[in-house]
Amino acid sequence: MEREILALAGRQADRAEVFVEESDRTMVEFRAGRLHSQETRRTNGYGLRIAKDGRIGFSSTTNPERLDLLVEAALETARFGREALFSFPKNSEPQPVKTFDNRVMLVPAKRMVEWGEDIVRAMAARDKDLRLDLTFSRSYRECRVANSRGLTVGYEQAGFGLHVTALLVSDGLVWLSRYVNLANGEPLDIEPVCDWLERQARHARERAKMATGEYPVLVMPTALRSMLSPLGVGVNGKQREKGSSPLIGREGEQVLDERLTIADNPLRDFGSNSGQFDGEGTASRKNVLFDRGRFGGFLFDLETAAACEAETTGSARRPYSQPPRPGTSNLDVEPGDGSLEDTIAGMKRGLLVHDFIGGGQSNVMAGNVTLNVSTGFMVENGETVGRVKDAMVAGNVYEMLASVGAVGSESEDLGSFSVPFLYFPSLKVAARD
Amino acid sequence: MSEMKPFLSDMLDGLGVEYAELRLEETERTGITFRGRELDDIGRSFERGGCLRVFHRGNWGVGTFNAIDDSIRELARDVAARVEQMPERDEKLVPLAAEDQVVRLPEDHDPGKVPLEEKHGLIRHYNDIMLQTDGIATTVSRYQDAHRFVVFYSTEDRYLDQEFVQAGFACRAVAKDGSNIQDYGDSFGKTQGFASLRNREPMVERIGRKALELLGAEPVKAGRYDVIIDPLLAGVFVHEAFGHLSEADHFSENERLREMMATGTRFGVDELTVVDDATMPGERGTFEYDDEGVHAQKSFLIRHGLLAGHLHDRQTARSMSEPASGNGRALSYRFPPVVRMTNTYIEPREAQLEDMMDTMEDGLYVVGSRGGMTELESFTFSSQYAFLVEHGRQTKMVRDVTLSGNVFETMKNIESIGDDLVMFGGIGGCGKAGQGPLPVGLGAPHVKVKNVVIGGE
Repeated sequence: MEREILALAGRQADRAEVFVEESDRTMVEFRAGRLHSQETRRTNGYGLRIAKDGRIGFSSTTNPERLDLLVEAALETARFGREALFSFPKNSEPQPVKTFDNRVMLVPAKRMVEWGEDIVRAMAARDKDLRLDLTFSRSYRECRVANSRGLTVGYEQAGFGLHVTALLVSDGLVWLSRYVNLANGEPLDIEPVCDWLERQARHARERAKMATGEYPVLVMPTALRSMLSPLGVGVNGKQREKGSSPLIGREGEQVLDERLTIADNPLRDFGSNSGQFDGEGTASRKNVLFDRGRFGGFLFDLETAAACEAETTGSARRPYSQPPRPGTSNLDVEPGDGSLEDTIAGMKRGLLVHDFIGGGQSNVMAGNVTLNVSTGFMVENGETVGRVKDAMVAGNVYEMLASVGAVGSESEDLGSFSVPFLYFPSLKVAARD
Repeated sequence: MSEMKPFLSDMLDGLGVEYAELRLEETERTGITFRGRELDDIGRSFERGGCLRVFHRGNWGVGTFNAIDDSIRELARDVAARVEQMPERDEKLVPLAAEDQVVRLPEDHDPGKVPLEEKHGLIRHYNDIMLQTDGIATTVSRYQDAHRFVVFYSTEDRYLDQEFVQAGFACRAVAKDGSNIQDYGDSFGKTQGFASLRNREPMVERIGRKALELLGAEPVKAGRYDVIIDPLLAGVFVHEAFGHLSEADHFSENERLREMMATGTRFGVDELTVVDDATMPGERGTFEYDDEGVHAQKSFLIRHGLLAGHLHDRQTARSMSEPASGNGRALSYRFPPVVRMTNTYIEPREAQLEDMMDTMEDGLYVVGSRGGMTELESFTFSSQYAFLVEHGRQTKMVRDVTLSGNVFETMKNIESIGDDLVMFGGIGGCGKAGQGPLPVGLGAPHVKVKNVVIGGE
């Protein structure tokens, strides 16, 4: 199909690139501890980017019977499009990365139903007050890129994960949430999931009162995602091109704490956004964004790289329905030497956060965030004493990440993030109690 | 996609299940984005696809697809066979009668009839207005339209062929003074076609001015404040904090939550009435039939301070023995419908903004929205800016104002409700269950709330 579209576009366009996405997703959903639905989602879509008279045009479709409309629309948009400053790439040699384990594809929906039932049964015995919602989602995605310079590449990815949310009604509502990445094909071990839920629910039943003030804060991996999201915006080549990133001109500068090494890593085995190529067919590579706190550089696709007189970093992200844009794939924070037990033991009075809601509503570009604690506990003299309700951590993430007290020694695999815990000796916490 | 009924009926024939439906969609979209002086993105898309749902012995099976041909029959059989294997549950759907309806919009609503040149020209014009404001470093301006045809057919012999239109734009200006970067944005979007987007210059001029003013604003001091909330942010509040809580899929299967959300429970002062209304002409969350084929309705969620109703899909309505409310909505053919809001607002009362201000000793007047999030009873949402109110007078502008709290307490803390309801649309929308942004409308008059937690410095 991509050949056909290229040929059709080639009659009128100067250059053309076709992106094809085919995916098949199976989902099994439990609601309130009961099997609720089974779903399959199949997608076949085509994105066409062309250059005509030095300008870029784009269109997309899921209707292979109307390729004429697709080409016509791309040409029409090119009349107003951006100047075409870049050339499409030729084939390049990819680096190895595991993105597909056939065992994942062989797990029948029936098995997901059984795992779900196992978790529900086990938890009913351990904590009957928890209302469990489970979603198993297994996807197979194949992308192909072809362009008028002769590039043709394809890459496939099988993703598989379980999302667990448990609701506990105890002095208001407590919402516990956990993701298990199953993309490596290993069967699900329900024990750690059940242990985690049981422990969290036990802590959550106790309430702790916390006044507004400055506290040591321990941010667990799931919560850390919300904190890191402004960095993903700041390192985006688009923000560099537009002059809006606070990181402009700071390459090589110490921006974050020297304990922090953060990379965008599409080459992590079984990462949610891993792949041998990016959305323009450029070979993927690991880009170190902060090397022991020093800013390494921006993430570029072809277009932003050309505008900034840089090279693409293989960071073009896209669904078939959008033109490529630079973006993060998987964000990996290198583990440090912090022990969770020792860190908690050393906290006199502080906050342990498992999950935030409401990240990214403030001035994200500048790094300002307001993070509402969704699951968080007060720690007193090294002991978790109870759940903290309605507390917020607000401030600037660049400032927060500039003085870190400890980096956990083990990363948690959250699919598109692989991160340890971070310990902050002092953060502002606004509380209502 | 007219006259698809025989084909759809054929695809679902002989499945041997209690209920099945097919929803096919054909959509054309145009998007144009400017960043700063330059056009950033321009694109058009043509989507075609469908969603099949099977309900049998209390369970759902769903399949979404792009190919609209005889392969749907095979998919339907496959989904039905899988549902057959699921353990039986005591769940039913509110039944619907046979119907055959075609919903068409006035021809001048069709954004496909407007040349791309005009769309490009309008959004560039609005973008230029912001750029001409001294001190504005950069801008983002987006134009979006969608023209959709959705055909629904169910084994209840219900055939609905609907046309939908969305058109809107969003503008944001970034002001910069050294390392001080502030931005301000606003948007406009309705279901009335391209013409409704013209003559919005005053709104766009205001965006640039506000971004500049924010450079001089200091971060608000964290703490508890009495607040006057403007119609947009109050609308976001009622959507985020209360609206989501009213969605019955959150609590229909949990006894304790059902008790918390029992009709008749006091939620606020007598003046407080909250409505979800999919029938408001031209608003962003307006339609004739929802994605389960239920007719659009006006639902009272809170009436005179007491909980009066819930938002339902056909399953939650049946399980709670309440009428179907027409809130089963899907973002597109890629998704099954889930319980969603339409146009949600607080009904206006008598209070005047001046009076609310006059009686405020020490508080905040919070304006505009940067979005919000909710996790059932906990919410957090951010305003664009706020003014300190001291001894009844609006004084200094402050920024980074985020409100958070517990919805039950905050609703009860609403003290007075203004007479100036405004409805908002825009081009964003609501996100839930991986489906977003779903077009919704929201609004409120000015409201005064005591004792709200404000995050900041």
